[in-house]
Amino acid sequence: MTLDRALLAGYLLAVLAATLVHEPAWLAGALLLTLLLAGRDAAPLLRRALRLVLLFNLAVSLGYLLLAWLRELSPWHTLLLINLRVLLLSCMTFLFMERVNLFKALDFSPNLTWLLGLAYSQALSFRRSYEDFRLALLSRSLRRPRLADRYRASAAAASWFLDRGLATARETALALRARGFFHD
Amino acid sequence: MIELSGVTHHYNGSDVLRDIEFVQAEGEKRVLLGCNGSGKSTLLKILAGLIRPAAGQYRYRGELIDPARLKDPDRNRRFRQEVALLFQNPDTMLFNPTVFDEIAFGPRQLGVSDLEERVQHWAATVGITAHLKRPPFGLSGGEKQKVALAALLVMEPKLLLLDEPTASLDPRSTGWLVDFLADLPVTTLVSTHNLSLAPELGSRALVLGEDHGLVYDGAIAPLLDDLPRLAAANLVHSHRHRHGDLEHRHPHVHDW
Repeated sequence: MTLDRALLAGYLLAVLAATLVHEPAWLAGALLLTLLLAGRDAAPLLRRALRLVLLFNLAVSLGYLLLAWLRELSPWHTLLLINLRVLLLSCMTFLFMERVNLFKALDFSPNLTWLLGLAYSQALSFRRSYEDFRLALLSRSLRRPRLADRYRASAAAASWFLDRGLATARETALALRARGFFHD
Repeated sequence: MIELSGVTHHYNGSDVLRDIEFVQAEGEKRVLLGCNGSGKSTLLKILAGLIRPAAGQYRYRGELIDPARLKDPDRNRRFRQEVALLFQNPDTMLFNPTVFDEIAFGPRQLGVSDLEERVQHWAATVGITAHLKRPPFGLSGGEKQKVALAALLVMEPKLLLLDEPTASLDPRSTGWLVDFLADLPVTTLVSTHNLSLAPELGSRALVLGEDHGLVYDGAIAPLLDDLPRLAAANLVHSHRHRHGDLEHRHPHVHDW
């Protein structure tokens, strides 16, 4: 087994374990271990993960707080558990993506490699487009864009990505059918 | 107006631009030619102050420009008002609820008193008055291109950078754009890989080679006669074709 494949197996097991463990102390320990494994990249990794989950976790946590208050429950154990688990999964995934060559890890299966190639090419194309959306707003802004403008620009970009993703998926499905996949 | 010296840029360890040097005078209309992936879009983004080159300097009207210097609010305001970039994909530029708001986005930041007149004027000029109350997202590619162009021109820029503006246009809209740009009293730099359109878009050309260096900086007419140079830049191709009974192969360009 190659190193990349072993790391993929380890990552999948760690994800499974993180969803099965319900003790915040264990999750906090796993988070600490992940950051130690990241070494010098620990701080930027944690920042990226926090930025990613902040809005989602905040919305879920506030909703749960309200529910717990209405039902007169103590929310703290659950809130800690949810937030730690999401943060741990995000950190592990960022670290995994940085350290492991997925193409090498999946090279045992031509079909998985091929699917990964499709997803990867689409992700690269979307990343370039996302950068253009960001720069276009910047180029039209005489001052720092207002929050409302940034939200509007983000919504327009998200809508474009959704449309584009659906169109590409349709085209890909047709191309696959034309090449003999999906035989009924 | 534009002065670049030793501008080099890379993405993920690969060269995108290599030691680019050129000067463009105020009022000049130039074409930026190069095959796909030669670095045209990156060069335009550097000229729009959106990307900092890995090495080299870019001066606009004698002033050094890069994203870090544009953090100064006054400089940013002046530069963004004078220099406009039309992105290759107009969708990336459109995010306001209506075409009117899209065109008004820039002038609103200036706090102008004649907002309505300005928007109406540029909408009429590019021919999109009928769409002013519509959201820009449902328009055709050509119409979106016109909305994006009006949103830039309403700021009355001094330098207009256009990235492959004819790429998503049909022949009629392309004809309109060629005439429109020819009559526009603004310094322009238009990128394209369509050699047949180049002489319609400017009198001088810059050519980026496949090695991402500048391989030509001069008048367009002699460039179009220099087939070995065009072939080296991957701007012409060669394949078997017929002229009546004669079948042969030579470097050439198609009119469309």
